[in-house]
Amino acid sequence: MEFEFLLNDVLQKISIEKKDGRFVYSDGEKNEEADIRYISPHEISVLIGDVSRRIFIARDKDCRYVFIDGRQFVVKEPAEEREDFHKGDARTPEGTLLVKAPMPGKVIKVIVAENDQVRKNQTLAIVEAMKMENEIKASVDGTIKAIHVSAGDLVDSDKPLLELEPS
Amino acid sequence: MFKKILVANRGEIAVRIIKACQEMDISTVAVYSDADRLSLHVQIADEAVGIGPPPAVDSYLNMDRIIEAARTTGADAIHPGYGFLAENAGFARRCEKEKIVFIGPNSDSLELVGDKVRSRQTLEKAGIPIIPGMKGIVKDVAAIRNEAREIGYPVMIKASAGGGGKGMRVVFREEELTSALEAGMREAKSAFGDDSVYLEKFIEEPRHVEFQVLADNHGKVVHLFERECSIQRRHQKIVEETPSQALDPVLRAEMGETARKVMEVSGYNNAGTVEFLLDKDRSFYFLEVNARLQVEHPVTELTTGVDLVRQQIKIAAGEKLAFDQEDLEQKGHAIECRIYAEDPHNNFLPSAGKILYLKEPNGPGVRNDCGIYSGWDVPIYYDPILAKLIVWGEDREAACQKMIRALDDYVIMGIQTTIGFLREVIGHNRFRKGETTTGFIQEYFSEWKGGEDSDERTKLALLAAAFDSIQGTSEGKGFQAAKKETYTPWRSLGTWRLGGK
Repeated sequence: MEFEFLLNDVLQKISIEKKDGRFVYSDGEKNEEADIRYISPHEISVLIGDVSRRIFIARDKDCRYVFIDGRQFVVKEPAEEREDFHKGDARTPEGTLLVKAPMPGKVIKVIVAENDQVRKNQTLAIVEAMKMENEIKASVDGTIKAIHVSAGDLVDSDKPLLELEPS
Repeated sequence: MFKKILVANRGEIAVRIIKACQEMDISTVAVYSDADRLSLHVQIADEAVGIGPPPAVDSYLNMDRIIEAARTTGADAIHPGYGFLAENAGFARRCEKEKIVFIGPNSDSLELVGDKVRSRQTLEKAGIPIIPGMKGIVKDVAAIRNEAREIGYPVMIKASAGGGGKGMRVVFREEELTSALEAGMREAKSAFGDDSVYLEKFIEEPRHVEFQVLADNHGKVVHLFERECSIQRRHQKIVEETPSQALDPVLRAEMGETARKVMEVSGYNNAGTVEFLLDKDRSFYFLEVNARLQVEHPVTELTTGVDLVRQQIKIAAGEKLAFDQEDLEQKGHAIECRIYAEDPHNNFLPSAGKILYLKEPNGPGVRNDCGIYSGWDVPIYYDPILAKLIVWGEDREAACQKMIRALDDYVIMGIQTTIGFLREVIGHNRFRKGETTTGFIQEYFSEWKGGEDSDERTKLALLAAAFDSIQGTSEGKGFQAAKKETYTPWRSLGTWRLGGK
């Protein structure tokens, strides 16, 4: 069976078949064999030859987490024309940047007003989460086209705070 | 001894205190905000009382609700933990009035040491070395600007009412002062309910060395040696250890004696910590008294064998300290790493959300003070500390090695944490040589973007995801296999051998 996964945002492919209780898999060039078992719903034991590895796995709504040797991988299904909101600012069809909060939190202060000219790295708003203030900065020079939040609002990480038209 | 103690805190420290009470056969009352109904401290306590909405000002800082909870449950003492009301003299006084024992210093002493400006004056008179700084609290920006000029840049803005890096800002130039003051005052207000800030001279390349003190109600004051807390991010301690690499027996004795004197002059009782800055030339300056149990108290416990929470409770109940200064010694080396819900790959932004899976490290010499569990949602309202991992080794190198092993064994899935970052810090050759200053993270880790993934780990992750998809489990269905051939720019990794050298 062929699988495509986004592994920490990098697209990866693997094919895997079950054969006589073991798993034969390939990265496209070479077949390998492994003895893979669940230890618990969150724990997988892998033996490849005599090399033993313990892998942890957890599942969420739209992604899966894999944990190996102190490192967590986020595994997602690649979606066609997927808009990735977590990679910088998203754009509207007109080319305006949607500036979003990088994490859920509370808006402490909106520093700019509509039609303000701003410079790259200028602070636009301050969002607090877990008692630390984080400055939301302009990623480019531009003009503030719209403001969607005000001080005191609780925001999610995918909610646009304001719109910025690059100059 | 007390029959019932109310713990006016949350998270790992509430859990730590509740466990100490259980060991001493004292029943416990937890308090919780609406965001913490499912938190660990609520589950392990004997009784639990809701005290209001999620924001701390409406719940964990709400004295009326907490006192009321103590009265309705019949608690005879309140342990405030750290943060929140721990260093609030008004709260200590309120407890005294209500005939509920406040497990901490007496309110007069708390008021004195909590007033950073007044305590500085008192201690300066007693001959304690002090950092140059403001002589009073001023709310007027122009006056603060004059003070800053007098002290000389760079200056440090600090919250008068507390520590923990909240409200703290370093200002290198006068034009940065106003915005830094505003931000510092806002942070101080939201963390401590008081926006008073003050200035002091910013000492460059210092080490942060503090001394743990215990003082009973009968006049005996002992110190339990130092903790070095130089490894900090945004003025927030992240790694602490004891003994400090910077002290020799003579300097240690001198600083310890000074710490005892600070507490005696301040009329202090119960557990407290005296913070010093140690500069490049091994001069030390009194910084402040932390009038509470410290986050990093476990490293002292592991090297001295003294249970500080147990001692706090005994002292508050009027017992005499059962040991003298000469009975105390440091054995081996202990290190603590603070595990925060922050994403080191994304500028250390807070990472709230559901913990899908947790596996705690263990083994000889490994202690995990933990406030979380699998399935718990980390709320956005409070400090991002999840747990503290503490190790003990016979010497510093053994402790470092043990810490790295324990961090590697620590699994927290679903949210991002600082575990991987801490592993890099402990593994850094400068850290291993003991070259720790408060500028360490800025100097060696400001460009850090997260470790590279080896091909082997990437391959294993891919294999695990594919295996989980075709085998499935009771929990959720596997991902669908790719249905069609599409062109994909996937990375070719070439041939590889698992575990190959």
